[in-house]
Amino acid sequence: MAKANQVMDICLLAGEIMLTYGAETYRVEDTLERMAKSANFSNVHCFATATGIFLSFEAEGKDDQMQMVRIDDRLQDLNKVAEVNQISREFVTGYISADEAQSQLQKVSVAPIHYPLWFIHLSAAVAGSIFSYLFGGSLADLLPVFFTALIASMTMVQIEKYLKVRFFAEFTASFLGGFSAIILYTLGLGLNVDQMIIGTVMPLVPGVTLTNALRDLMSGDLIAGTSRGAEALLTSLAIASGIALALTLTL
Amino acid sequence: MLLELLLCFIATVGFGVIFSVPKRALLLAGLIGVLTWFNYHTLPIFGVNTVMATAISSFFAALVAHLLARKMRLPATTFALPGVIPLLPGGQAYSTMRSFVEGAYIQGLATGVETLLQAGAIAGGLVFVIALFSFGKGIGHRYEPSR
Repeated sequence: MAKANQVMDICLLAGEIMLTYGAETYRVEDTLERMAKSANFSNVHCFATATGIFLSFEAEGKDDQMQMVRIDDRLQDLNKVAEVNQISREFVTGYISADEAQSQLQKVSVAPIHYPLWFIHLSAAVAGSIFSYLFGGSLADLLPVFFTALIASMTMVQIEKYLKVRFFAEFTASFLGGFSAIILYTLGLGLNVDQMIIGTVMPLVPGVTLTNALRDLMSGDLIAGTSRGAEALLTSLAIASGIALALTLTL
Repeated sequence: MLLELLLCFIATVGFGVIFSVPKRALLLAGLIGVLTWFNYHTLPIFGVNTVMATAISSFFAALVAHLLARKMRLPATTFALPGVIPLLPGGQAYSTMRSFVEGAYIQGLATGVETLLQAGAIAGGLVFVIALFSFGKGIGHRYEPSR
């Protein structure tokens, strides 16, 4: 039988990883409650928002235990969510013990991103350039947008590394990307400046946050849903204003 | 059309990498993206308007995503998110912003409403599938269920 403290640690670690790397709130709450219940604790309650998790349960013959973790970073790595999902499922069915679950979770928590960073930049560039074509551009736009989307994606990651201010990274990335797209267009590379700019900023779109906001609101996690929605909205506005600045400077 | 579908596959897989979708789900997510793009561009030929076409394509993307998620025991988001990416109203959002920058506010409002409608249609399709798959797990009751 696992000790209460250890189960609490495992649960909160699982919750922290899931929430940081972009799981829906209902999934976090549901997973933690199942894990705690499977370890034979009663009176299990979990409350998660976009920025923190509270978990409380009652061990047999002891007082209630209650702890919280604060979630500072919100990143996107759906692979980690899937992995924690798998570990928690195995823990709940009793396939792995508490010790094993803990060591596996710690492994997931310190693991690097699923794909190397250069590969992410590369696919952002490819995806951006293809979307500029799909949204009505021409094949001649593919190559310039490849480079502008690469610039946007790399700026975003670099600035996020050094600055704690949210939304500024998106703003600068979309500004630099849009600006370089306009410059390439005036130099004669690419035919449709509009589609070039759209393709450049497509990889910056906060897709994970948006879908999670929707999912949270639908499953009744109103606080998490509205706050995620606000975050997605502000991110989109930051991208839009970056492009708007680039346009006004060059119009 | 074939070229577009192929490019859409690559782009969706690219977005899957951006969101760090697990490797075993990556190619399937790309196929969902292709399905979405095909629906979105075939439906208007039969006289369906753009917003409705968006809703239907997002519905089918989410439906396939949920079925695959059940089968492969992965969170449904990993499939659904790259799947609906081709529907994003990037063009409308951009022209909204461009109109506002150029001072054409009425035009901007019109395209802004268009953007919101299309975003709402994506959301509608996703939510409908969530509702289908949560059948029997009622969440927010207005009245307590009878005991």
